Amino acid sequence: MSESSWRMVAQLVIDHPLFPVGLTLLAFQFALWLYRRSGWLVLQPVMVSMLLVVGALLACGMDYATYREGAAPIAFLLGPVTIALAVPLYNNIKRIRLLAWPVLLTVLVGGSLTVTLTLVIAYAMGAQLPVLASLSGKSVTMPIAMLAAEQLGGLASLAAVFVMLTGVIGTALGPWLLGVSNVTHPAARGLSYGINAHAIGTARALEEGSECGAFAALGMSLLGVISAVLLPFVAGWALSGL
Amino acid sequence: MVLKGLTWLVLLQIVGSLVSELLLPVLPGSVIGLLLLFGYLLLRGGVSEPLGQATSVLLQYLPLLFVVPAAGIMLASDALLADLPAILTALCLSLLVTVPLCGWMMQRLAIRVEQREEGRHE
Repeated sequence: MSESSWRMVAQLVIDHPLFPVGLTLLAFQFALWLYRRSGWLVLQPVMVSMLLVVGALLACGMDYATYREGAAPIAFLLGPVTIALAVPLYNNIKRIRLLAWPVLLTVLVGGSLTVTLTLVIAYAMGAQLPVLASLSGKSVTMPIAMLAAEQLGGLASLAAVFVMLTGVIGTALGPWLLGVSNVTHPAARGLSYGINAHAIGTARALEEGSECGAFAALGMSLLGVISAVLLPFVAGWALSGL
Repeated sequence: MVLKGLTWLVLLQIVGSLVSELLLPVLPGSVIGLLLLFGYLLLRGGVSEPLGQATSVLLQYLPLLFVVPAAGIMLASDALLADLPAILTALCLSLLVTVPLCGWMMQRLAIRVEQREEGRHE
C-alpha cells in the first residue's frame, strides 16, 4: 500500500466511534502490565495511562472533547462504582466503629493541614502565580471533585486539574512515603491515602486489602463532607485576612 | 447477578444526582449515593449477593475509570502549563508532609485504642 492509503486507514481507525474506548483500554492495560512487571509503585497505572492517552490524542490530532464523548461509556461508570465503595465500608463497620475517634481526629487535623499548606503555598507563589491564588479557595473545597462527573464535564477549571494532580501524585508517592515513615497499620495507610489522594488513592488502597480500602473510602468521604460544610466559612475568613 | 447489582448502583447514582441537584449542591451525586447505600446496608444488616458480586467486580476497575477525567489535563491553559513545574513542586512538598503525618497519627491513635480494647476483653 502507498503512503496515502496507509494514512487513510489510520484516519478510519481514528474516526471509528470506538477509538476512544479502545485507546483508553489499551493504554490502561499497558500501564497495568508495566506497573506489575516493573514493580515500581511510582508508575501508577492512572498516571501512566493518562500520559499515554494524552500523547496519543496529541499525535492523532483529536481534541479532548471528542475523546471524552467517545469514552463516555467508561467515564459513566465512575459514579456507580464510587457508590459501590459503600460495600467495603459496611463490611469493615466493626473496625470503623472501634476506630471512629482516631479517624475523626486524623481527618480533622490532616485535612486542615492539607488545606493550610495548599493555601500557604498558593499564597507564597501568588506573585508569580495569580492563577493559583485565585483557585486556592475552590481547589480545597472539593477534594472529591474528581467524583463530580457533572462538574467534570469540562476539566478546564484549574481547581479540577489541581485536584486531579493531587490524586495522581499522592498515589504515586504514597506507598513510598508511608513505607519510609513506618506506617504499616492497614487502617492508617488507608486513611492517609483517602485524605491525601482521594479517589485515586482509594483505588490504590483497595489493592492493599479490604480494610485499607474501607478506611481510604471513609477518609475521602468524611473529608469531602466536612470540607464541603466547613470550608466555605474557613476559606472566606482566611482569604479576607490576607 | 452482577447486572442486578449494577442496576442498583446506577439507580442510586440517579437518585444521588437528583438530591445533589435539588437539595445539596455541595456534595456530588455519587457521594450522596454512597451515603444512601451505606445507610441502607446499615438498616438491612447485610450485603445481598448480587450487590456483593457487582461491587467486587467493579471496584477492581476503579483506576481505569479515572483515566478519562485525568486526561482532561489536556485542557489546561497555557498559563497553567507554564506554571506546571512550580505547581508540581508545591504539591509534592505538601504531600511529603501530609501523607506520613496522617498515616503516623492514625497509626498511633489506632494502636492505642486497640490495646485499650484488648485490655478490656482480658
